Amino acid sequence: MSPISEYELAEALAGAHGPLRIRGGGTRTLDVDGGDTLSTGQMTGITLHEPGALTLVAKAGTPVSDIRAALRAENQRLAFEPMDHRPLLGTTGAPTIGGVVAGNVSGPRRIAVGAARDFMLGVRFVDGTGRILKNGGRVMKNVTGYDLVRLLTGSHGTLGVLSEVSLKVLPDVDAAATLLLSGLSDTQAVKALSAGLGSPFEITGAAHDPEAGETRLRIEGFANSVTYRAGRLRDLLAPFGRAEVQEGKAGTAETWAATRDVTDFADRAGDVWRLSVKPSDAPALVARSGAETVRYDWGGGLVWLLMPEGVDLRANLGPFKGHATLIRADEETRRALPAFQPENPVLARLTAELRAKFDPRGVLNPGVMA
Amino acid sequence: MEMPEPDADVVSRKGHLVERLQNALPPGAVIHDTTELRAYECDALTAYTCPPLCAVLPTSTEEVAAVLRICHDEGVPVVPRGAGTSLAGGALATADAVMLGTARLNAVIETNYDDRYIRVQSGRTNLSVTGAVEERGFFYAPDPSSQLACAIAGNIAMNSGGAHCLKYGVTTNNLLGVTMVLMDGTVTEIGGAHLDAGGLDLLGLICGSEGQLGVVTEATLRILHKPEGARPVLMGYDSSEVAGQVVNDIIKAGVLPVAIEFMDRPCIEATEAFAKAGYPMCEALLIVEVEGSDAEIDEQLGLIMQIAARHDPVELREAKDADEAGRIWLGRKSAFGAMGQINDYMCLDGTIPVSELPFVLRRIAELAQEYGLAVANVFHAGDGNMHPLILYNANTPGEQEKCEALGADILRLCVEVGGCLTGEHGVGIEKRDLMLVQYGPDDLDAQMAVKDVFDPAWLLNAAKVFPLAASKSHRIAAE
Amino acid sequence: MQTNFSAEQLQDPGTARANEILRACVHCGFCTATCPTYQVLGDELDSPRGRIYLMKDMLENERVPDEKTVTHIDRCLSCLACMTTCPSGVHYMHLVDHARDYIERHYDRPWSDRALRWILSKILPYPMRFRLALLGARIGRPFARLMPDARLRAMLEMAPKQIPPVSPNDDPQTFAPEAPRKKRVALMTGCAQRALNTDINDATIRLLTRLGCEVVVAEGAGCCGALTHHMGKTGESHATAAKNIRAWVAEMDGKGLDAIVINTSGCGTTVKDYGHMFRGEPLAEDAARVSAIARDVSEVLMELDLPEGAPKDLTVAYHAACSLQHGQQIKTHPKDLLKRAGFSIVEPADAHLCCGSAGTYNLMQPAISKQLKDRKVQTLEAATPDVIAAGNIGCMMQIGGGTDVPVVHTAELLDWATGGPKPPAMRAAQTGVPILR
Repeated sequence: MSPISEYELAEALAGAHGPLRIRGGGTRTLDVDGGDTLSTGQMTGITLHEPGALTLVAKAGTPVSDIRAALRAENQRLAFEPMDHRPLLGTTGAPTIGGVVAGNVSGPRRIAVGAARDFMLGVRFVDGTGRILKNGGRVMKNVTGYDLVRLLTGSHGTLGVLSEVSLKVLPDVDAAATLLLSGLSDTQAVKALSAGLGSPFEITGAAHDPEAGETRLRIEGFANSVTYRAGRLRDLLAPFGRAEVQEGKAGTAETWAATRDVTDFADRAGDVWRLSVKPSDAPALVARSGAETVRYDWGGGLVWLLMPEGVDLRANLGPFKGHATLIRADEETRRALPAFQPENPVLARLTAELRAKFDPRGVLNPGVMA
Repeated sequence: MEMPEPDADVVSRKGHLVERLQNALPPGAVIHDTTELRAYECDALTAYTCPPLCAVLPTSTEEVAAVLRICHDEGVPVVPRGAGTSLAGGALATADAVMLGTARLNAVIETNYDDRYIRVQSGRTNLSVTGAVEERGFFYAPDPSSQLACAIAGNIAMNSGGAHCLKYGVTTNNLLGVTMVLMDGTVTEIGGAHLDAGGLDLLGLICGSEGQLGVVTEATLRILHKPEGARPVLMGYDSSEVAGQVVNDIIKAGVLPVAIEFMDRPCIEATEAFAKAGYPMCEALLIVEVEGSDAEIDEQLGLIMQIAARHDPVELREAKDADEAGRIWLGRKSAFGAMGQINDYMCLDGTIPVSELPFVLRRIAELAQEYGLAVANVFHAGDGNMHPLILYNANTPGEQEKCEALGADILRLCVEVGGCLTGEHGVGIEKRDLMLVQYGPDDLDAQMAVKDVFDPAWLLNAAKVFPLAASKSHRIAAE
Repeated sequence: MQTNFSAEQLQDPGTARANEILRACVHCGFCTATCPTYQVLGDELDSPRGRIYLMKDMLENERVPDEKTVTHIDRCLSCLACMTTCPSGVHYMHLVDHARDYIERHYDRPWSDRALRWILSKILPYPMRFRLALLGARIGRPFARLMPDARLRAMLEMAPKQIPPVSPNDDPQTFAPEAPRKKRVALMTGCAQRALNTDINDATIRLLTRLGCEVVVAEGAGCCGALTHHMGKTGESHATAAKNIRAWVAEMDGKGLDAIVINTSGCGTTVKDYGHMFRGEPLAEDAARVSAIARDVSEVLMELDLPEGAPKDLTVAYHAACSLQHGQQIKTHPKDLLKRAGFSIVEPADAHLCCGSAGTYNLMQPAISKQLKDRKVQTLEAATPDVIAAGNIGCMMQIGGGTDVPVVHTAELLDWATGGPKPPAMRAAQTGVPILR
């Protein structure tokens, strides 16, 4: 099924007989079960772009590359820099903006500007009964009624199929640089990144690679500002060593794209997990994770773990504050272990009941999140 | 303003209910004397009043849970109250409702500068959250104008913004976690010191839910290091069209000011008379503020002033020191007080796409003339959040109704041009009846279905947000 | 806010003024953020906004005041922090004064209340009687715990250990200036201050004469009337105020006065309000003249060219009395003067919050007063000062009763810095002799 309009989408869902796999570009699959596929690939097109109002509205099936191109033409960008899952998962296809929103897909800059969900202004979607619904709009400040925009973002298509999304965009930057510290332990690295993030110098990336022994901070802005801030940060981080500064927008973009897409794990065997925790908790959790190797992002608040195949990371960690998501594993592992962190009974009940309201027949990506 | 009929049975059980609540709470926590309840009969929207059945002032999550359990058990509606600064009537009660005040929940529970968060009880005021971390050079970003007095609980309920949200986001972008009590007394944590939801974004859902899904007793908030410095510039223009164009150009140039404020002539005149900040008498005034080191500020302002100068300003004024900066902001910050001195006023909150500003201002002026009322405009120009202030005299019969009718027309206009009914203040009771201007019946059904999940009994602040006719079937089914 | 007074009600000037004030209030709630009783109690009813609402209801409906309303109004410190905070310029002071007068006239207080208030109004404004009472209290202090009423207990516990002898400087007389004469000023010697602490007036006189003021203690001047005014006993407060007005006008019309200097900020606020208090009465014009030249001592000192002093190795914690910072809106003069004299100044956190003294508040509302005192002492001591300076005797007594750090009047420090003696309270602290509490 590949509806070309919201109306057709509604018809398709109203008439659905069994479970549907909702597909954007098909680059971030998480599910296990078969079933008919409903693709949003034909619902494409940017319907509004107002650079002076920092607003962009596009149909859900619009390729992210199209959106990037349109934004670049006006010297703007998707500031939350959504991850491209293709290298890591070995998938092909063209990621869509709907997929980005449905997965709340963000990147390293999330630590400074917010995640995809923080840039959402409005959604149009069709729920599991075929009802066409909207929430939010196209303005940044909108508290009219409940915030279903946040609810739908990151719902992985289980509450509704997005047909159109409104986003806040930001100006692109003039210049960028990366600060590199070497040889820090995980604990020291997190401390260094915290020091940077707790400074007034607006770090837009804070990552650590224990294998390479590299701790990275990104600075972006006007050229003079970048140079100034790099200098100030180098002084601030002196207790952690002498930082090397790599200036240059292209080089910085390359470095951080690799961080964003976790390309280090792309061609390596093993399961990939994604852990979201309080940064200062991260090193200790990594220590007992049983991981082969890890990559830290968000100042330590995000940890990518390369785990031996089939191993339950959650069992190794024991109870902890945060959540672990299974990103890449073979089919058998994905059947055995829940992809998403099981919630406490109260939240699990609320979640289940919300799903039942929006998708009473259970046709929308069933089993993907639960 | 229509409100649901109070449940006579509940009212008749007041004595019994008060006793149960008193047994569950420390002494002095239950207010039930009729004279005293008058102070709780409204929030900052004084046009509508109704004393609650009684008011309770708990001091802990456990006490809040006990109150809700009792009320759930007895079938008694509950209306949560932050600091009572809502301009939308969000804390208006019915005569059968227990008002649950959060003012005594004001402790700081934890501050963590490494992981950059603070955990507070929800009754703490917004500004005092910053107060708790400012010695270390940190601050809590969302800064509604009422931040001196408004409570975090209310900020979360309404997803409050403020002048600086252009750069730092609103409450939902700065909220990391909560402890929430559901109407049946169940306590749960959502989120925490980690980022992003592990499943559905329930935290994002309850932020802005106007106290209808649960009572938040504790909140984990993001704190940031204060910028090295900030400096405002003031620009006066001969027309609002031009001012709007200036805003557009500044944003397109890639500068991200931390705040852009707009005031029109009626507002400038009233404010000057009151605060004497030295503003130029012109059609439109902009205050643009940028942050960074002195050099960074200079660079950004250089760009901004260039853009500003291109459009033939009546005046361009940079602040040379903290004193001058204070004076540039003084007028804007005194605007509401100044209005209050002259007149009663109704403050609207409609938001529009920034590009529509000139058209909307023209239309507002036309509508105001049709109604024979004066409107002054103050505006968060960077994000399109308008604050038209409709001036009237509350003591003149009929004026309030006229004022509300004009307000409704202005909000309809906002929605017509692609905006929304409320950017910051929330729906409360004030905009309930306009909800169908912005949303279709299915859209509202979807939202009410969410409330069905969190509060199947529809006891928690049930008369807000949704038109009573629309929510009626839900409220009745709950009984 | 919308008000509902009838045309007939508005004929009364007091009601008309109340209506004006109430119309200015938009019920925004900003005032709650800086109200000390709201900080302590967390109840809307004990905030300025809630009190305004109760007063509005009482006055509009000409209700017989009920116990609850009176309780909440009684709990108001009249610190006026709300006036500093209010964005709409609501004159809370005038409103609460009017309401207190209304309550006094229409409310039947319990006899113990009435007796207590009567005793205070008959003793505190009269230095001789007050001295006798203090002596009695000193004797009765060991028996404080036996007192059934918390307020009587508080009174006994507050009695100072040392009562100074009567100072001849407080008698009507003129003090000649040391330097060539720059100003002729009247010094209000006050009432309670004369019995509790004569160092303050002594230091003030020395300081002013040293800097070129001819200082006159006017014949016939006494209590300013603040105490009884805040109780709503308008008849009595106007009677004592009238005496002051006549005494000072006599000097103004006689040898002339450049200022009436007041070194107790609580009194200063009231004297500056004489014009409003006596509006519409025969003494209106004279009252306005007196108000026009009433000054806090720090204001006058700012005009007198205080010599710059060498930096002293002394940290002074400056306590901003409510009546000075909110009532008179004087926030920087005392600090500027102390800095000029060479002292290092530190300020406590939450400096806008009252210490809980508030006239007779620490006697009438001991529980709340104690909480505020503890908070204030804690924030002052947190800066580890060598001495605490304040511009109001009430604050000095209140804070002094909760800390071992010496508490002095700003004028005493300035006097010392310009050639006067070291303040006795600081000497006592050094020698270990019990200090004036």
